Amino acid sequence: MPSRRRTLLKVIILGDSGVGKTSLMNQYVNKKFSNQYKATIGADFLTKEVQFEDRLFTLQIWDTAGQERFQSLGVAFYRGADCCVLVYDVNSMKSFDNLNNWREEFLIQASPSDPENFPFVVIGNKVDVDGGNSRVVSEKKARAWCASKGNIPYYETSAKEGINVEEAFQCIAKDALKSGEEEEIYLPDTIDVGSSNQPRSTGCEC
Amino acid sequence: MSSESRASSSGDEASEPNPNPIPKPPEDQLAALALSETDSHANGVVHGSAGENNHNHQEIESDEEEVEANSAAPGLAEVEESREGLPRGSVGGVVWARTNSELEVDGPSSPSSSGYAGERGSSSASSGGSGIDEISEVRNEEVVDGFSDLQASWVPGKRHVDEDDASLSWRKRKKHFFILSNSGKPIYSRHGDEHKLAGFSATLQAIISFVENGGDHVKLVRAGKHQVVFLVKGPIYLVCISCTEEPYESLRMQLELIYGQMLLILTKSVNRCFEKNPKFDMTPLLGGTDIVFSSLIHSFSWNPATFLHAYTCLPLAYATRQAAGAILQDVADSGVLFAILMCKHKVISLVGAQKASLHPDDMLLLSNFVMASESFRTSESFSPICLPRYNPMAFLYAYVHYLDADTYLMLLTTSSDAFYHLKDCRIRIEMVLLKSSVLSEIQRSMIDGGMRVEELPLDPLPRSASFSPHLGQHTLSTDSPDRFREPYIGVGGPAGLWHFIYRSIFLDQYVSSEFSPPISSPRQQKRLYRAYQKLYASMHDRGIGPHKTQFRRDENYVLLCWVTQDFELYAAFDPLADKALAIKTCNRVCQWVKDVENEIFLLGASPFSW
Repeated sequence: MPSRRRTLLKVIILGDSGVGKTSLMNQYVNKKFSNQYKATIGADFLTKEVQFEDRLFTLQIWDTAGQERFQSLGVAFYRGADCCVLVYDVNSMKSFDNLNNWREEFLIQASPSDPENFPFVVIGNKVDVDGGNSRVVSEKKARAWCASKGNIPYYETSAKEGINVEEAFQCIAKDALKSGEEEEIYLPDTIDVGSSNQPRSTGCEC
Repeated sequence: MSSESRASSSGDEASEPNPNPIPKPPEDQLAALALSETDSHANGVVHGSAGENNHNHQEIESDEEEVEANSAAPGLAEVEESREGLPRGSVGGVVWARTNSELEVDGPSSPSSSGYAGERGSSSASSGGSGIDEISEVRNEEVVDGFSDLQASWVPGKRHVDEDDASLSWRKRKKHFFILSNSGKPIYSRHGDEHKLAGFSATLQAIISFVENGGDHVKLVRAGKHQVVFLVKGPIYLVCISCTEEPYESLRMQLELIYGQMLLILTKSVNRCFEKNPKFDMTPLLGGTDIVFSSLIHSFSWNPATFLHAYTCLPLAYATRQAAGAILQDVADSGVLFAILMCKHKVISLVGAQKASLHPDDMLLLSNFVMASESFRTSESFSPICLPRYNPMAFLYAYVHYLDADTYLMLLTTSSDAFYHLKDCRIRIEMVLLKSSVLSEIQRSMIDGGMRVEELPLDPLPRSASFSPHLGQHTLSTDSPDRFREPYIGVGGPAGLWHFIYRSIFLDQYVSSEFSPPISSPRQQKRLYRAYQKLYASMHDRGIGPHKTQFRRDENYVLLCWVTQDFELYAAFDPLADKALAIKTCNRVCQWVKDVENEIFLLGASPFSW
């Protein structure tokens, strides 16, 4: 419980296996990239402190496994997320098509209070591959999908080259922060001895 | 003093003609309960073999910090299964000197060699240049005066804020406590910075949720020397990671108390915040209460109330306590729910409005909250608090005022605008206490201390006589200063009795003897409490218990525990103590407690339903 108020933001990264979720995270947090593919088992967790508009906050990044066999962990992992990052590989149409499933799945499992305005960010990764020649999902198509889902911010990145990664996460942090802004007043009941020690049912005002 | 001479000294005592070896208490009931060796056989005595408990020595402990002696930290590494790039067990460079010498110091061959305490004290862990200087040694001088509490040497507040789960030093801490939300957001960590531990916190949540997903609950994970204990309280997860060898039940109870402390500050209404908003971040609500939790965790190693679920009273003459109770009762009748007068963690008197009863755990958490928060000392305060055992859902209001450095008055009410009324009550109480010299009696009792094993009366005396000259009104004012000047070279009380705790089941109160050599350093005291705690857990184990008596001998102590319907007695003896004599001594302790119960317990003077 730090005396100076800091904000912690839970960020979930979702997407098909192999689109580069872990690489993006490693590039962002550790400024490192490895060509070797290592499947994530369950989930990986990384922490990054970020300064944004004079405020210090911590990103708690949940890098999930893309494989379907891990999807049973859904509720547990998605609960209480402040932002969800959907990642696809611009060189794989299937990974792009699946964005819709990932988004739906997240909204069902996490059941945020305001699903319409829940902050998502979409990242098209691996723009560096083959000089862009093997690309199958056009930026236009991706942006159109993002626009249709309530203007989701869109970034094209290369985790390998470190292109646009910082910018994408800046946006993620900004959006997550925005959604967590509402200040709440904590006001529990007071014991009412007169009515057999039952708390009044005025409810918590938070 | 050599062990030989000591053994003979207890032998002397045995041969001493004792007209009435087993005191005949006035009440038939108590007489029937007198502990005898044959009885204990019938009840199934557990004989602990020497060496059974030897792991305790291998802990390098200072009074507060506990750091793992082993160079590898396999337990933590295993928990963090999904983290990469951490120095998993590869701890090469730093050397934590393990001081096996303690084993010898402690060995039955020379348990009371001269400078026993000093030797203990000097066997400090060398920190080998690791930069963790907190593993400093116990300061013996603090306990020489006989009334030291472990609190004295404890530095409040959180340390090691720079640490996180990648720090070697963090991984070596022997006992971690975490509070997190069910979305994996950190709320509290005993060591290290909560935000830096966000990844670790997420890992814990993942483990708990993974098991819950399978329709099950994870309670305990053993990983090498480490135990990972989980407690799920709705949206709040509590985790303890420990390699202190404490029983699972004890660690779980400590987590319960930490949860209770959180409720005392916030009430269970936080659950609704999580229901409404799973993203809910509790840390701002708990801002500044870090010290309350660290103080509670510290009390796990010095305050027997944390495992006995009973409170203890400051020894006072019966009339003095009555006088305090009367004035408290007076204000309680004017709309105060509870009026509690305490001195440090000891109760002077307390009264409650009709039908209202206070659980000892609530008292522990409340007094910890008040004592840990510095702001209560400097001004009269009015603060919302929740008594989790009384009503976890709602707030009460506590008026708190310190009457002197250690003595404080707490008036609890349900009315949020009762401040001025309670202030008036306090002024009235304070005046009466001053006039009737209760406050000065309190201060004298603080200096004089409580029961001392050295003063255990040899023979049962008529009840009118005071067995302990410094207890209550029989105090000779010239007596105590002398006592403190005398250097203790003693070996405790008769028959090698070193220490005891007596818990009255009916009163929900306990009395603990003062610490005196050879149990002198905070570290030794902590070790003894841990041994009691283990004994308590084994006596109350539902699987194999309940037991009535237990006699356990290892190279540290002879521990004797005796549980009846009315009381529980925990006694520690010299490891060479004679069994029959120890049993006889326990009977005498019970008689002694009975004889001075007017002074050491708060007896049902108030219409208080316990």
